Amino acid sequence: MAEVVLKDVVKNYGNVYAVNNVSFTVEHGEFVALVGPSGCGKTTTLNLIAGLIPMSGGDIAIGDRIVNDLDPKDRDIAMVFQNYALYPNKSVFKNLAFPLQMRKLPKEEIARKVNDAAKLLDITHLLDRKPRELSGGQQQRVALGRALVRDPAVFLMDEPLSNLDAKLRVQMRSEIKRFHHNLNATVVYVTHDQLEAVTMADKMAVMNGGLLQQYDSPANVFAHPVNTFVASFVGSPAMSLIPLDVATQGTETSLRSPEEGWELPLSPMNARKANASSNGKVVLGARHSTLKLHRQAVPGAVPGKVYTVEPTGDVTFAQVFISGAVVNISLDPSVVIAPDEKVWVEFDQERMHLFDGQTTMALQAA
Amino acid sequence: MAVISETAIRPVVRKPIDWWRWAGRAFLTFLLLFTVLPMAWMVLTSVKSQFAAMQYPPQWWPAEPTLNNYFKLLDPNSRVGQDFLRYFWNSFYVSLVTTILGVVVAVPAAYAFSRFRFPGRNFMFFAVLVRNMFPAVVFLMPLFLLMRWMGLVNTHGSLILTYLTFGLPLSIWLLKGFYDNIPIQLEQAARIDGATRFQAFLLIVMPLSTPGIIATSIFSFIGAWNEYVYAYTFLSRDSQMTLPVGIQRFFTEFATDWPGLMAATFMMSVPVVVLFLVLQKYFVRALTEGAVKH
Repeated sequence: MAEVVLKDVVKNYGNVYAVNNVSFTVEHGEFVALVGPSGCGKTTTLNLIAGLIPMSGGDIAIGDRIVNDLDPKDRDIAMVFQNYALYPNKSVFKNLAFPLQMRKLPKEEIARKVNDAAKLLDITHLLDRKPRELSGGQQQRVALGRALVRDPAVFLMDEPLSNLDAKLRVQMRSEIKRFHHNLNATVVYVTHDQLEAVTMADKMAVMNGGLLQQYDSPANVFAHPVNTFVASFVGSPAMSLIPLDVATQGTETSLRSPEEGWELPLSPMNARKANASSNGKVVLGARHSTLKLHRQAVPGAVPGKVYTVEPTGDVTFAQVFISGAVVNISLDPSVVIAPDEKVWVEFDQERMHLFDGQTTMALQAA
Repeated sequence: MAVISETAIRPVVRKPIDWWRWAGRAFLTFLLLFTVLPMAWMVLTSVKSQFAAMQYPPQWWPAEPTLNNYFKLLDPNSRVGQDFLRYFWNSFYVSLVTTILGVVVAVPAAYAFSRFRFPGRNFMFFAVLVRNMFPAVVFLMPLFLLMRWMGLVNTHGSLILTYLTFGLPLSIWLLKGFYDNIPIQLEQAARIDGATRFQAFLLIVMPLSTPGIIATSIFSFIGAWNEYVYAYTFLSRDSQMTLPVGIQRFFTEFATDWPGLMAATFMMSVPVVVLFLVLQKYFVRALTEGAVKH
């Protein structure tokens, strides 16, 4: 096991920067999720760590070695691919044995290690089969087995669950988590599903447009998103974002809707944040669970109009138009409201987020 | 309750005759006769005596079938046998070398076209295909001059080189389709599992592309085996002749020995037919797999 260090890693194709100055450290035994929308550079970053594509700049270290110019085979890593990449013409046993054969281990040791890995993953009865004779979940296990049979320094996983059906995905999710726990393995895990990242990872690296947006524990990313992108990417349903103007009268600072003219007074803390805005505009962010819905006007609540209502059983989600933006609010299922109903929404000053209207970065109290 | 036989109560529904289907069958029958009849006539004639073959009206079914013509051709002590066996060996040698060299060149070329991005890639691939748009005869004179300049006229090398240039485009094209269908992640997995790039190719990709390699081998073998015009032009020494040109001599030298000619022709087609029958499942897979995404 080892730590993985990325320093100013760049991968560009001409003027297109797939990965742009990305730096982060995966501690020994840590589970890190690289997460972001398609094309954000997360898979490219993983391939750079694996050495499958050459870097354009920067350094990558695994353990205490700089691996920039090492072949994948010399990096002491294992990888699980989205499509599993099992060798179709080899039996499960031979698939698992392949990494060991390439390292020229003696036959008895190969057989012992393969059988151990198979036992661990409960695939002993499948060893004689060909990959195409296995179900998706079984193929997934074999792919995992091929990765762990060798006891590598780092496990790399490229969307390993996205080819499974929903039920199996949840099951394999906890199995991979358990597997990480048992082996105390260093894992770098790529996913586009923020829920997978939040539920599995010790830390998540949120990427967008080749840039690392935020690198922190899921709890911190959830509670303190650094910009509107991270705020809207992590959490389900997403954090609602409302662009507003900053209005100051004397010592009082409030937010004004440019479209509807209403004003939302701010607490002193939030006022200091809003006043730090670079262009007098802010984006107000709020998670569905922090909002309160009223049928009448109450002080500190802003007007809105119900767009849709989605009951999910445990909780009902209402989408409300506020100042031209769609805002998600979770409600008790007993609440009955109808589309087009006029409502008032109350914000929690302690748990609201303010982002700069221009840079989209989270505002700090000056 | 009375038991009524099911057939009794079922109304007789007559399906309308599907004329298109019957037209198709008729057309296929015609095609079948068109291809099979000459071959049948070839085989039948080859087991007749010279006298029986020349009879008029023709003797459709040989009255006294004989394998003499075959014995004569395969007898290394007779003049005809010596010639035939030499031609046969020449053809086999040229075709085999063409096939082996073709695979050796086409496999890495197709792999490169499939996996690597390099300047001029599309242009080169297009150029490879454009070659196929010209009939072989167009290249006859230029290639002859080229071969003479290189001192290759009257050598088997000239034929092997020529057949390679004709066979390679199709081989590369077919094989590229194969490699395109092999997920790149398989190679990446192999490289992470401890293989070099070349080992990943050799141990993982090559076995998966075996059907494609077999199919392209058949293609180039048959192409070289059957070729006539270039062999006729480039070779003038009797000892070097390949079968298609050599067989032609039965017309002239032996006052058109029809049964002998037919026996020789039949034996010439045997390797092709056998190759095709044994390997046709790979052949079909190669042609369809490259074309259709699964």
